[in-house]
Amino acid sequence: MNQQKMTRRDFVKTNAIAATATAAGITIPGIKETLAASTDKIRWDKAPCRFCGTGCSVLVGTQNGKIVATQGDPDAPVNRGLNCIKGYFLSKILYGQDRLTKPLLRKTNGKYDKNGEFTEVSWDEAFDVMAEKWKAALKKDMEANKGKPADQLTSTVGMFGSGQWTVFEGYAASKLYKAGFRSNHIDPNARHCMASAVGAFIRGFGSDEPMGCYDDMEHADAFVLWGSNMAEMHPILWTRITDTRLTKPGCEVHVLSTFEHRSFDLADNGMVFTPQTDLAILNYIANYIIQNKAYNKDFLDKHVNFTETVTDIGYGLRPEHELEKKAKNAGKGKLSKISFEEYAKSVEPYTLDYAHELSGVPREQLERLAKLYADPNKKIMSLWTMGFNQHTRGVWVNGLMYNVHLLTGKISQPGNGPFSLTGQPSACGTAREVGTFAHRLPADYVVKKKAHRDLAEKIWQLPEGTIPGKVGYHAVLQNRMLKDGKLNAYWVMCNNNMQAAPNMNEEGLPGYRNPANFIVVSDPYPTVTAMAADLILPTAMWTEKEGAYGNAERRTQFWRQQVNAPGEARSDLWQLMEFSKRFKMEEVWPEELLAEAPEYKGKTLFNVLYENGFVNQYKKQTVTDDRGNTYANSEMDAFGFYVQKGLFEEYRRFQFEGPKRGHELADFDTYHKTRGLRWPVIDGKETLWRYAEGYDPFVAKGEGFKFYGKADGRANIIAAPYEPPAESPDAEYDLWLSTGRVLEHWHSGSMTRRVPELYRAFPDAVIFMHPEDAKKRGLRRGMAAKVVSRRGEIEAMVETRGRNRPPEGLVFVPWFDAGRLINKVTLDATDPLSKETDYKKCAVKIVRV
Amino acid sequence: MSEYNLCGVLVHAQQNNRLDVQQHLQQQQGTEVHAVTEEGRLVVTMEDKSRKQLADRIMKLNQIEGVLSASMIFQYSDDELSEQETPITNLSEERMSA
Repeated sequence: MNQQKMTRRDFVKTNAIAATATAAGITIPGIKETLAASTDKIRWDKAPCRFCGTGCSVLVGTQNGKIVATQGDPDAPVNRGLNCIKGYFLSKILYGQDRLTKPLLRKTNGKYDKNGEFTEVSWDEAFDVMAEKWKAALKKDMEANKGKPADQLTSTVGMFGSGQWTVFEGYAASKLYKAGFRSNHIDPNARHCMASAVGAFIRGFGSDEPMGCYDDMEHADAFVLWGSNMAEMHPILWTRITDTRLTKPGCEVHVLSTFEHRSFDLADNGMVFTPQTDLAILNYIANYIIQNKAYNKDFLDKHVNFTETVTDIGYGLRPEHELEKKAKNAGKGKLSKISFEEYAKSVEPYTLDYAHELSGVPREQLERLAKLYADPNKKIMSLWTMGFNQHTRGVWVNGLMYNVHLLTGKISQPGNGPFSLTGQPSACGTAREVGTFAHRLPADYVVKKKAHRDLAEKIWQLPEGTIPGKVGYHAVLQNRMLKDGKLNAYWVMCNNNMQAAPNMNEEGLPGYRNPANFIVVSDPYPTVTAMAADLILPTAMWTEKEGAYGNAERRTQFWRQQVNAPGEARSDLWQLMEFSKRFKMEEVWPEELLAEAPEYKGKTLFNVLYENGFVNQYKKQTVTDDRGNTYANSEMDAFGFYVQKGLFEEYRRFQFEGPKRGHELADFDTYHKTRGLRWPVIDGKETLWRYAEGYDPFVAKGEGFKFYGKADGRANIIAAPYEPPAESPDAEYDLWLSTGRVLEHWHSGSMTRRVPELYRAFPDAVIFMHPEDAKKRGLRRGMAAKVVSRRGEIEAMVETRGRNRPPEGLVFVPWFDAGRLINKVTLDATDPLSKETDYKKCAVKIVRV
Repeated sequence: MSEYNLCGVLVHAQQNNRLDVQQHLQQQQGTEVHAVTEEGRLVVTMEDKSRKQLADRIMKLNQIEGVLSASMIFQYSDDELSEQETPITNLSEERMSA
C-alpha cells in the first residue's frame, strides 16, 4: 500500500486487516508500519459489550465526537479479539433515528393528563410533575406506617430496574429506594432471567454466582448444555467450546433442549426432551451415579450436607388461582436434613425406563449422558441459561444440577463445574452483586435480617430502623400490584418490561394504565414500555457515560465515557441523583425517624444519600488513559465530584465491613487499568475457582474445599422430585409453546431492532413448528397463522425449516418482535421460590388465519 | 447521503476446503481475502455502500460450504467518507441535481 496516497478509506481498511489478522494469529507484513505512518487517527478505548452477559471487551473507535468503529479487543481474556454479530453492530445502537432527546409527558391543554398526548417538556417540568406524584404517595405511606416497626413498613412507590444498569446506577437506585423512599419495591428485569439461578446458589452454597469461570472451557473434557442454545446466544463462548471440541482428543458435547437448535450441530449426543422432564433426567443421573457407586465418598463426607425440599409448592400464580389453592405447600422452600441413604432412596424411582418414559429421550442416549457424569476421568462443564431458570421448578432444577456435580466432586476445579450463564451484561455485576432485588442489599445481604440492615444503615449513615425489613414486590407482583392500585408511583429504568413480562393483556397493560398510577419510563428509545408510560425520560446509553458491568464469570469491567449523549438525554445515574434533590427529608421520613438524625432536618435526599461526606469525597478530576487521551464525564461535571468513584468505593465497604467474605472487589482505579478482574479480588489478585484450596484465598491449606457461604463450610445436596408444569397441552390447546431469543436480536430488540441490518436478517417473529404439525392444521411454510392461548393471541408466519426445529407437539416463537407480542399469550406462572416466570411452557393452539 | 461500510471478518474454514472457500469469497464483489492460513483461517474484508446488504452478506457467510464459523473482528461505518472520495464527475452530478 502506498503510504503517500493513503486515503481515509485505505486507512480504515488497513485497520480492519490488521485487527482481523491479529485475531487470526498471523502477521501481514507492512501493515503496522502503514498504520503508524498515517496521520488519520481514530481514538480507541476498551469497553465491555452492551449486549449479553458474556462480557466481551470491544475497542470503541471514536472520531470527531462520534463512534465510527468497533473491534474485538485483542487483549481481552474473554473474547480474544473476536466479536459476534451483535457486538459488531454496537456502534450503531447509539444512532437510531428515533432516539429520544427530550422528556415527553402526556398532556392535554398544556397540563399533565394520563390520557393526553406525549408532549416535549423540560427536565424541570418533568421532575416537578414526577416529584408531585411521588410526594403524594410517600405522604400516604407515612400515614399508613405510623407507629409501625421497620419490618412492617409498606410503600406505594416502586421501581423496575435492570441487569443493564451500570454498577453505579444500580447502587444509586437501590440506595434511593431502600434508604431514601424506604421502599423495597425495587426489582430488576434480572428477576425474569436469573432469579432461579440465584435461589439455587444461595440454597446450595450460601453465596451467589458460579464457582468456576470461562477458563473451564479449555480445561474440560466434556460439555453438557441444559436448556441453552449457546451457538446463538453466547456465540463467543461457543467458539471457545468448539475449539476445545475440535482440538482435544476424546472431547464430547451433549446438548439437551425441548427443540433442536443450532447448538445441536456440534453435539455428539443431542437430546430433545418433553418440557419439564429435565427434573426427571437429572434425578436419573444422580440415581445412576449412586447405583454404580460412582460418587466421591470422601468429598461427600467432608464437604456436603444432604437435605430435601418441601414439595407440592404451586406455581406462583395469584393466590386465588385454582392451582395455588390446590397446592399443599404453595411458595414454601424449607429444607430438612436427611441422610445419604434417604437421599439415595429419593432418587431410586428415577430409573432409566422412567426417565425415558417421561422425557421421550431414547434410553441409550440418556445412559450415555449418565455414564459421562459418572466417569471419574472426565472433567465436565455443565452450562445452562433460561431453560433451567425460566422454569416453575427453576430453583429445584438448578439444584438438581449441583447435586450431580457435588455427588461426583466435579466442582470448583479447572474444567469441572456447573456454570450458570447470564443473559444481560450486568445481571451479575449490578442486579445480583449490588442487590437491586426486592429482598436484597449489596453484597449478598438481605433486608429480612436485622443485622444486615444494621450494616447497611451504618455504611449509609442512617438511623437504626430506616431500611424496611419486609421483602418488597418482585417483578411479576409489581405488575399485579399496579393493576390492583397498590403501587402508584412507579419508575421503569433501562428495560422493556411491558414487552418482556408475561401475560401483558391481563396484568401489565392494565397496571400501567390504571388511573391511580403514575408511570415513568427512562429509555433511549420509544419502546413498547415507554409508549405505555405517562412520562418518558430520554436516557444516555452505554459509552455515553462512564460505567461498570459484571459478567457471568464474576469479572468486573469498567469503561470511560467515549462520547456525549444526544440532545437532552441524561444517564440513569444523573436522573436518579438529580431527582433526589427534589425531596426534603421531612417529605420522605416521618418525624420520629428524623428525630434520630436531627442533623438531616432541612436537608434533601441528595444531601443525605450522595453528598454524605463519603461519596462526594472524591474530587472532580480529568479522566485520562495511559496513552494520553482525555475523556468527558458528564455526571462529574453535573454534580461536582467523581460520582462513579464515590458510589463504587462506598459499595465496596459492604464487601469488607460485614461478616460475609468472598465478594471483595479491587479499588476503583484498578479496574480502569485492567480488562476486568474476577472476584473475590484479594491483594490485587483475582480468583478463578472459588471454594477450592490453591485457588480461593479463603480456603486454608489442608482444607481441600470449603463452601464458606454456609456456616459449616458444606454445600447442600437438595433432593427434589419431578412435578408437572402449570399448564400442559390438552385436547383444545394441543401444543407446547416455548419462547426465546434468536442470534440477531438481543432480548426485546429495543436496541437491535433499530439497527437495520439486524432487523432485516430476522425481520418478524415466526412460529417455528414441525412440518407434520403444520400439515395437520392445513398450514405451509410462509403462511400466516394464529398462536392462541387461554389468555391472548398473536399472528405470525409459519416456519417449518431453518435453524430451530421443534419436535411434533411443540412450537417456538421468539419474543423480540414488538409487532407480535408473544407475551399476550404466555402464562404468568412463576417459580414459587424465585418468582421467575416460566416463559418456556404453556399450552396453545395454532389456527389458520 | 451515501455511506461507506466496512468490516473485517475472521472466517474459519475446514482445512481441506479452505481454498474453495477463499475462491468462493473472492468472487463476491467488495470481498477480499488478505491471508489464508494452513489451518483454515481466512482474513477477510467486506465493503458495501448499503448497510443492509453488507449485513446480509455477513449473515450468509455461515452458509457457505466449508465454513465452520465467521467472527466479526472490525467494523467501520461512516456517512461522509464516500462523499469525500466520490470522483469529481459524480460530485458535480450531485450538485446539479441538488
